[in-house]
Amino acid sequence: MEINRQFDEYYENSYIQGGTACCPGCGGPLFWRMTLEALGPKTIIYGDGPCAYCAIRNIKLPNFGIHFSFVADGSTGILAALAAKGREDITVVSSGGDGAIGDISFGKVSAAAERNENMIQICVDNEAYMNTGIQKSGLTPFGAWTTTTPLGKEAPKKEIPLIIAQHRVPYVATTSVAYPRDLQAKLKKASGIQGFKYLHTVIPCPTGWRFDPAKSVEVVRLGVETWVWPLYEIEGGVLRVTLKPKQRPVEDYLKAQNRFRHLSDDQIKFIQSETDTRRKRLLENDGKRIIL
Amino acid sequence: MSFTRMMEGNEAAAWGARLSRAEVVPAYPITPQTEVISHIATFIAEGKMKAQYIKVEGEHTAMAAAVGASVAGARVFTASASQGIAYMEEALWMPPGRRLPIVMCMVNRALAPIGGLRPDHNDSLMQRDNGWIQLYCENSQEVLDTIIMAYRIGEDRRVYLPVAPCYDGYFVSATATPTTVPDQAEVDEFLPPYVHEMYSLMPETYRPRPFEMNIAKGRYEVQQAHERAKAVIEEVDVEYSKRFGRGYDGLLEEYACDDVDAVLMTMGSMTGTARDVVDEMQASGKRIGLLKLRGFRPFPTEELQGLAKRFHAIGVVDRNTSYGSAGGGIVSMEVARALYPLEDRPLLLNFHVGLGGSDVTMRQIGYMADKTLEAVEKGRVEKAVDWVELVDLGEVM
Amino acid sequence: MSQMVRAFRPTVDKDKCVKCGNCQTYCPEGTVMLRDGEEVVFDYRFCKGCGVCANECPVDAISMVKEA
Repeated sequence: MEINRQFDEYYENSYIQGGTACCPGCGGPLFWRMTLEALGPKTIIYGDGPCAYCAIRNIKLPNFGIHFSFVADGSTGILAALAAKGREDITVVSSGGDGAIGDISFGKVSAAAERNENMIQICVDNEAYMNTGIQKSGLTPFGAWTTTTPLGKEAPKKEIPLIIAQHRVPYVATTSVAYPRDLQAKLKKASGIQGFKYLHTVIPCPTGWRFDPAKSVEVVRLGVETWVWPLYEIEGGVLRVTLKPKQRPVEDYLKAQNRFRHLSDDQIKFIQSETDTRRKRLLENDGKRIIL
Repeated sequence: MSFTRMMEGNEAAAWGARLSRAEVVPAYPITPQTEVISHIATFIAEGKMKAQYIKVEGEHTAMAAAVGASVAGARVFTASASQGIAYMEEALWMPPGRRLPIVMCMVNRALAPIGGLRPDHNDSLMQRDNGWIQLYCENSQEVLDTIIMAYRIGEDRRVYLPVAPCYDGYFVSATATPTTVPDQAEVDEFLPPYVHEMYSLMPETYRPRPFEMNIAKGRYEVQQAHERAKAVIEEVDVEYSKRFGRGYDGLLEEYACDDVDAVLMTMGSMTGTARDVVDEMQASGKRIGLLKLRGFRPFPTEELQGLAKRFHAIGVVDRNTSYGSAGGGIVSMEVARALYPLEDRPLLLNFHVGLGGSDVTMRQIGYMADKTLEAVEKGRVEKAVDWVELVDLGEVM
Repeated sequence: MSQMVRAFRPTVDKDKCVKCGNCQTYCPEGTVMLRDGEEVVFDYRFCKGCGVCANECPVDAISMVKEA
């Protein structure tokens, strides 16, 4: 059928096959399609980890993964092999989830940043160990329901982008699939920089965050508009807030997801005040060097 | 130019990596391996070795980086020991299953607790199930030669398996013995550049890793690679010996076994001492010979079965422990299984000695040989498993 | 194939469609295409019926209809 052939061609040109094993509405394949379009075919993707693999398996460009306890390790090896072969024209992308980068591979990513490995390290953050059935990770936000935090997570979310920025890497950025132009601009910029680049992206998860899959992009848009997920970059230690939306109350974001359904008014107030502080600090330091 | 001088095992290992033109070296220090990676760092800094040297932050990372580099088409060398091998365990299953011919020296060191820095073989033997080829080296010379051969073996298209040259910490790693370093051009002729025919990660030639959905089939393939490796190891040894004048008899070496009643089987550096003891004992008329087990994986089952008809008892020396095992140490259990199908089986004795790296003395070897000969005389084994270090043999030597 | 798990499938009202391309941009699976910048088409082989396209359409031109 003509239309099937046209779609097959579209998948070839997007470098990712439609029809992944991801949940309906998952932001993962959406992120990869936008990313691969920005990076082009001279790219090797290194990544594994449960949810992410469902998407990566559909990628048509060279890809390879081990386990999520090895984020940035295999890609370090790939980079060394490419250097040995004189193939520094190939972009290496390393990808890991929040459980990987926040927890089990935290040290790995820190070490790769310290070595200033020439890779684009991406964190696909769906804010919990989703593929194993929704368990808390270090990047699960305060108050979120998971099966291991049924009363809501007590501790705050680890601030990975700032931690990595303090390693003095050339580029750190946050992105969202609800803002594809911002996302692609940041990826293109990263691919032109030598050294360790870190991109943290929110991946909406209808299954774990508990919302209608149709609202997937809408939810992460709300995340940005409420400043729970601010979009910024840190280039050479200097902060630049790349989007300054008019602030909406966090309640709009929280009420859109059943994982926050149990929050008390006090807890929502707390989240609002934390978010306000975050927004204030970001805007105050916009254009300034924010690492020591 | 080839040259000979006194050289410690770790320096010999570094030379092995250098002559093999290893392209990527993930490096993390651990006693007793550290000199391997520091010598390599010096070679690279002096422009004498062209390799990407990755100063990783842990062994778990080191092996993953090795895997990534190997998949991307580079010849990889690394080394570790004991706790480091244990820490990278998860990653160690990758190279055999994914058919990556990485070469990693396992510089044997006892595992904690009840361990320490000195050598025993639990750290490498613990990896016996995951598909790594394991070749145990007796001295610095053998370490150097085995590394070069390891790449020829592992990268052979009939094999595609990772190879671990294992050698005792301190006794080999830090003991200087006369070592001949072969000429680079000669090694280049012996060892062509690495090309993996099964997959490529380059955008122009991307071939995804062949993935066998049937797990039993997939594992059987690795097993068959081990079967084929036996012949390849012998072939490579013969060719190496023709070209460089030094050979190691492949997986199993018989020493002074022509007309004996019993043999001892040793692995690693203690073999050197055992040769002297066997010579002495034979000079005084005792009919004891020595088998050096060089290849623990693949285990030389057929070869051992063939030899077994020539002696009536075998004393297997285990520099390792396997708590709660079916009987004794790890090597003895492999030997038992290998000999089991024979109609006329030699008697089997097992000795634990040198645990935690305590010195294996001539007196202890003499004791083990005597016990094995005694079993032949009596026609039975009195003590199937003997913890030699708990026996009072009088003065140490 | 997705039709085995899909409960709803997207359909487009061509008269309402303003050809903005949002549906193609935001479809998580890439199974929506604004063909030649003119016509919105769906790959029902792989569409999961998540409904993001319908949600992101600024003029409500896409509706999710129950699978037969």
